[in-house]
Amino acid sequence: MNHTSSDLRKKSPGFGLGLRPVHYPDFLREPQAVDWLEIISENYMIPGGKPLAMLDAILERYPVAMHGVSLSIGSTDGLDAQYLTELKALAKYVQPMWISDHLCWTGVQGRNSHDLLPLPYSEEALRLVVRHVDQVQHTLGRRILLENVSSYLDYRSSEMSEWEFLRQVSEQADCLLLLDVNNIYVSSINHGFDAIEFLNHLPVERVQQIHLAGHSDHGDYIVDTHDHPVAEPVWELYRYTCARFGEVAAMIERDDNIPELGELITELNRARAIAAETLEALAEVA
Amino acid sequence: MKTLELTDLQIAFHGHLRNQESSIAQEVIDGGRISVDHRLHIYHNAYRVRLLENLRDAYEKTWTYLGDDTFDASALAFIEANPPRHRNLRWHGAEFPQFLAEQFPQDADIAELALIDWQLRHAFDGPNATPVQPTELAGLSAEDWESVGFRFAPTFFIAPLRYNTVSIWHALDQEQAPPTAEALPEPSWLLIWRKGWQPHFRTIQAVEQAALSQLHGGASFAAVCAALGEQFSDQEAATVAGESLGTWLQDELIVWLTGAH
Repeated sequence: MNHTSSDLRKKSPGFGLGLRPVHYPDFLREPQAVDWLEIISENYMIPGGKPLAMLDAILERYPVAMHGVSLSIGSTDGLDAQYLTELKALAKYVQPMWISDHLCWTGVQGRNSHDLLPLPYSEEALRLVVRHVDQVQHTLGRRILLENVSSYLDYRSSEMSEWEFLRQVSEQADCLLLLDVNNIYVSSINHGFDAIEFLNHLPVERVQQIHLAGHSDHGDYIVDTHDHPVAEPVWELYRYTCARFGEVAAMIERDDNIPELGELITELNRARAIAAETLEALAEVA
Repeated sequence: MKTLELTDLQIAFHGHLRNQESSIAQEVIDGGRISVDHRLHIYHNAYRVRLLENLRDAYEKTWTYLGDDTFDASALAFIEANPPRHRNLRWHGAEFPQFLAEQFPQDADIAELALIDWQLRHAFDGPNATPVQPTELAGLSAEDWESVGFRFAPTFFIAPLRYNTVSIWHALDQEQAPPTAEALPEPSWLLIWRKGWQPHFRTIQAVEQAALSQLHGGASFAAVCAALGEQFSDQEAATVAGESLGTWLQDELIVWLTGAH
């Protein structure tokens, strides 16, 4: 799929990885076969020291996207002004390709769970999230990306599907989407929905980035743990994602049992190959 | 059955995470291969695991010292009593040394070790500052020396120390059996700061602690020397002041000169 004039996305910078401190020496020693890096914003919302010095060195070498975990866009507490100020300051420093966080809530009554908690897919939650996204985008002066989270329960108060909620949020708030293909797969198993139907309902022109990650299979349910390689069914879903959304920046997230960088690059090369095969096949058909 | 409004739903959910009485189960659809209780348990468990892992990471030496069972029991009790209030997980656990002091009133070494863990971690990513070079002091006039004072690195931290906790820390760091906790024979203090990108700490005695505290409070170096003169002979006072200043410069503790012309 080509980027058309109605496409809101920036051109894909290619294939990236989530930057983890254990890999700082690899990235700074020599160029690696990684097109861009995603940083966890909160890890650098700190006063100073070595992490920021490492970030400086990374910024000289790689394009960077910022990915947050604490925006809590769906909390009824409202947005945290101090957090937003710090996020804006980091963005000014990093000059990222884009800034993302999750479509969820992380705390209420001034207390944070540090978990990505699911929202009910209700009109009430939709209005709240749209209002908050508008405030964040106004503050940052740019569109943000929101990511679909893994979830383990459904609320009785939901009035629409998760994909309809994502679509409505992105269109009403005029924001972009970060599709986590693993999260779609995890939630499809935990809730018994069709992952393809999920993908088919999302607006192509708003999907700026893709996450790939591993999970833990508990038999009856799956937990999004980011401590394994990407699973086979997720690779298959990624193949379909490429066919539907075209050339989209994709990356692998690994947060636990972090392997050598080379192992992650090998995994990333599989994403490159799948995307290339799929786009080639599409071009032939066209 | 009526459903909760979003605010009440979030309060009920968060209450469930925190082991409080909660009506959240009534808000969750019962269906599929796992029960509502199990679905809620996944979140209940993830909340604790994430916060516990963060405390283990922030208090690594304390965790090693206490062992998994004792550390986890204390950390989980702390988590119940102190839900995170900051958006950045980095800040959760600041009160844990005080919590341990109350949990183990007979073993102050535990809380002291925890304090070292916390302060070292925060010195690591604390604010940057450029250290004053010895050549800058060499350029001061005799008149300047009468009024000059020092501002210390922003990561500068001093706290009283009652036990041989620094020896315990070093043994744990070398993966050796720690020495038996013993009260120190004389009053001592812990000094923590960052030199370059590396946090440092050492034990200091009363004379150096008094000098550093006076300077940190805004006293001039001349005033500190005068105070030393009341304890020591002139020659001894000059030696102590000169050697201390040399150490502070080498340690990159001094980052700003005040009061010089």
